[in-house]
Amino acid sequence: MRHVVSRRSVLFGVPAALALSACSGSGGGSTELSNEPVTLRFTWWGSDARHQRTQQVITLFQEKHPNITVKGEFKDWNGYWDSLATTAAAQEAPDVIQMDELYLASYAERGALLDLSRVSDHLDTGGIAEDVLATGKVEDKQYGVPTGLAAYSMVVNTDLLDQYGIEVPDDDTWSWDDLKEIGAKVSAAGGGKVTGVQSWGFDMGGLNIWTRQSGGRLFGDDGNVAVKPAVVADYWRYLVELADKGIAPPPSVTVERATATLDQSGTATNASAFGTWWNTQLTSLSAASGQHLTLLKLPGEADAKQRGVYHKPSMYWSIFSRSKHPGEAALLVDFLANSQDAAEVMLTDRGVPVNEKIRTAIEPKLDPADQAAVRYLNDIKVSPPPRVTPNGASDIEKILQRHTEQVLFGQAKPEDAATSFINELQAEIDAAA
Amino acid sequence: MTVFHELRRRTAAPAEPRGRVPGEPRRKRPANKKDNLAALVFLAPWLAGLLVITIGPMIASLVLSFTNYDLLQPPEWAGFDNFVRMLGDERLHSSLQVTFVYVFVSVPVQLTIALLLAVVLDRGVRGMAFYRSIFYLPSLLGSSVAIAILWQQVFGTEGLVNHFLGLFGVPGRGWISEPGTALSSLIVLNVWTFGAPMVIFLAGLRQIPSMYYEAAAVDGAGPLRRFRGITLPLLTPIIFFNLVLQIIHAFQAFTQAFVVSNGTGGPSDSTLFFTLYAYQRAFRNFDMGYASAMAWFLLVVIAAFTAINFYAARFWVFYDD
Amino acid sequence: MTTRARVRSVVKHLALIATATLMLYPVLWMVVSSLRPQDKIFQEPGLLLTEAQVRNYSDGWSALADTFDVYLVNSAIVVLGAIIGNLVSCSMAAYAFARLDFVGRRPLFAVMLMTIMLPVHVVIVPQYILFSELGWLNTFLPLIVPKLLATDAFFVFLMVQFIRGIPRELDDAARIDGCGHGGIFLRVILPLMTPALATTAIFTFIWTWNDFFSQLIYLTDPDKYTVPVALRSFMDATTGTSWGSMFAMSVVSLVPVFLAFLIGQRYLVRGIATTGIK
Repeated sequence: MRHVVSRRSVLFGVPAALALSACSGSGGGSTELSNEPVTLRFTWWGSDARHQRTQQVITLFQEKHPNITVKGEFKDWNGYWDSLATTAAAQEAPDVIQMDELYLASYAERGALLDLSRVSDHLDTGGIAEDVLATGKVEDKQYGVPTGLAAYSMVVNTDLLDQYGIEVPDDDTWSWDDLKEIGAKVSAAGGGKVTGVQSWGFDMGGLNIWTRQSGGRLFGDDGNVAVKPAVVADYWRYLVELADKGIAPPPSVTVERATATLDQSGTATNASAFGTWWNTQLTSLSAASGQHLTLLKLPGEADAKQRGVYHKPSMYWSIFSRSKHPGEAALLVDFLANSQDAAEVMLTDRGVPVNEKIRTAIEPKLDPADQAAVRYLNDIKVSPPPRVTPNGASDIEKILQRHTEQVLFGQAKPEDAATSFINELQAEIDAAA
Repeated sequence: MTVFHELRRRTAAPAEPRGRVPGEPRRKRPANKKDNLAALVFLAPWLAGLLVITIGPMIASLVLSFTNYDLLQPPEWAGFDNFVRMLGDERLHSSLQVTFVYVFVSVPVQLTIALLLAVVLDRGVRGMAFYRSIFYLPSLLGSSVAIAILWQQVFGTEGLVNHFLGLFGVPGRGWISEPGTALSSLIVLNVWTFGAPMVIFLAGLRQIPSMYYEAAAVDGAGPLRRFRGITLPLLTPIIFFNLVLQIIHAFQAFTQAFVVSNGTGGPSDSTLFFTLYAYQRAFRNFDMGYASAMAWFLLVVIAAFTAINFYAARFWVFYDD
Repeated sequence: MTTRARVRSVVKHLALIATATLMLYPVLWMVVSSLRPQDKIFQEPGLLLTEAQVRNYSDGWSALADTFDVYLVNSAIVVLGAIIGNLVSCSMAAYAFARLDFVGRRPLFAVMLMTIMLPVHVVIVPQYILFSELGWLNTFLPLIVPKLLATDAFFVFLMVQFIRGIPRELDDAARIDGCGHGGIFLRVILPLMTPALATTAIFTFIWTWNDFFSQLIYLTDPDKYTVPVALRSFMDATTGTSWGSMFAMSVVSLVPVFLAFLIGQRYLVRGIATTGIK
């Protein structure tokens, strides 16, 4: 029988190949641009709307650089990370990678991403504010270019409030207690079909804000968990109170909506008047809801020890450390980040553009919900963003979700859940070091 | 003596083990040289596949289970650390429990329903092909990405089941979103996809020579008697097959839990199947070494149960050869 | 038919139809939802359709990088290759295990069973590296070639059980007629195994059609995507999912599978209906 790969080499070769192929070292191609035709692989996650826009951007790029062909590889969120991990393990990851804040440090510290200073000839980051650009740094090296910004906000359904004769609160001064009060009013008027607040506790943004408002931080500079158990316990106590008082739906409904997609959430189905969301999600929410949704600033900002709200990079562009064409890849990233033509196609699909010039240029082209999102971002007062999620902590949202579920269903007390959460998170960070 | 009686005689003595497991030859024949060569020819594709595509990666994963491997950097030797860690890992213990409950509840229920419906459909019902296809349709959807939403429509807080219960004034609950009942909804999902073993039972039923039934009818045996005396015994190899394989599959259940819980194994780990936990460790926590250790542990567990199955088979499986 | 028999038959049919409708509720819901306007899908639960539209179908068809028929064809290619591969290689291996007596039969059978006991997620990375070294990434080869090499031990085992149900007297009769193992295999065993072969074909079809993970990992070019990968591309957790399109395309991709089953089960019916001795 003819074997392409001999039996022995398979038996012993596969583990050897694993070792060899994952060998660190500079690897990858030269950063000089080539004269020959080059093919780049470019991967992103998203739904079909994003795929279509990105394909258009690719066409524009190829017109500008005729010798470069770009192959787009798009996947859904879950499949994306499975695929990226597998391809990176085999040293076959795509050249340009859309990266998320949760995983940036994990991939960067493990040597999978290119230090972008090496391709600064082809990639101009000048149009991006320093502190925003710094969110793409891990251990002081630039591994990702932020594509867009988002900020945490409170989305309110003003149609519902009008219907119940409740006034929209003053979002410059309101507190978390105020939210409870007004939420209770909505629930009372809603008679079981509408609740005041859509519960949260399943994503990192809310916990970050809560921690910062209390003067603390989720992660310290050393990459360890820095939040105090009491703060996390309070976070959950508030949620439990909301559920107990009927201000938020019963736990089984909350959990059901949380594991479903955006269009089945309380806000999108007009079953909750208030909900915490990233401002860039307003467009999708409005489309699903069909009623008037507005962005409000978060409660508790006025009295907080430190402003909770910050500019979060919605995603980054990174380059694979072993890309054979880092120079061309940098050209593509530069186009994505700085080209106004590209921005006019993408609009706010990947967040509000970081490049201020571009942001102003495209604003007139946006539809009302997107314009509202941009205005919100420009208006709010922020404090410096938190550090990038440390290596090992990529799973924080799943850990958080599990503990929130335990607390909501009464399987754990907030204090115990808080300790358990912090310990588990720290253990993951330790294991990755 | 009629064929029916002959058959009854052969199957009436469970004390005398008549069934055989594939490892035991019917009569002691010397290993025939001619057979060895023929075997090599017939097994050639399988052997090639085994050695090139299967064994290599399997051995690699075994080696990896003794390492710390984060996928992006070379594996580091870790000895038995992963296995020791498994002993103290509470989430692992709970996932084992979830998996065991799933296996030992859903498999018997699913196979019983599959067998019953196969028998019903096998006996001249008009439009049988149509019904067969209808009952098979859920299996086509079982691993689809749409199943999460579809299952919500039935078991969610606003779903069909709660509406139905509401008709009788029984308050509904979030069958999928509550830790106490989420696993049950997945068990029902597995039972819902009974079309697969049903098809196999049908094929097995088709293979029973009708002359046995004719002879039995001549002897005046009623349908229940025919079922117990002919159908069941002759179907035992197929029942055995379905049992072994559904158990193996149930131990490895992944896709349905993944899709319905959106990859979390929630709520509160109540649907965290063993393989789902291993997958999370491998691909989300960059902990492939530990995941490999878990996988090999699972293999040992499955192998143990399969061996038990094979051993017990000699007491109830009847082969015609 | 006597009245009593007729009543029994009607009751049987009613019961079957009721069970069928209950079982099919999720499927029916999906079909109905695919005909609803996207924003009404979650606002109107239940099966009653107030305004039907086919927009989701035309939208979904051309929503991704290629029109959906490309993905259907890709899935068809992979599935066809897998079916042929499994039928040929698994039947051969099954014959060996069931009828031949050879050195190491027992341990090899155990090894064969063991190969299905290891979860795919931990072998996928070494396998991926292996196929990468062979240069087979982004082709259909990693999805089809393993089937040609009987890596689906499930079907080998299935066929072994079926072959063991065929009386050895038939083999002996053929041998007397001058057939070697090849002849016995082709003339006696294969024809009598038709239900098992049909079952293998049907199952291979279903599982390969729905096999998401391998297809996701090995196929990087969107124009090579298969149906399950393409369907997931309609989903996005952070923005809106195009449910209408996804349901519409799911229905579209269910149709060939359902038809395949409807036609294929004729072969399940053929089998030893008589004594089997010609």
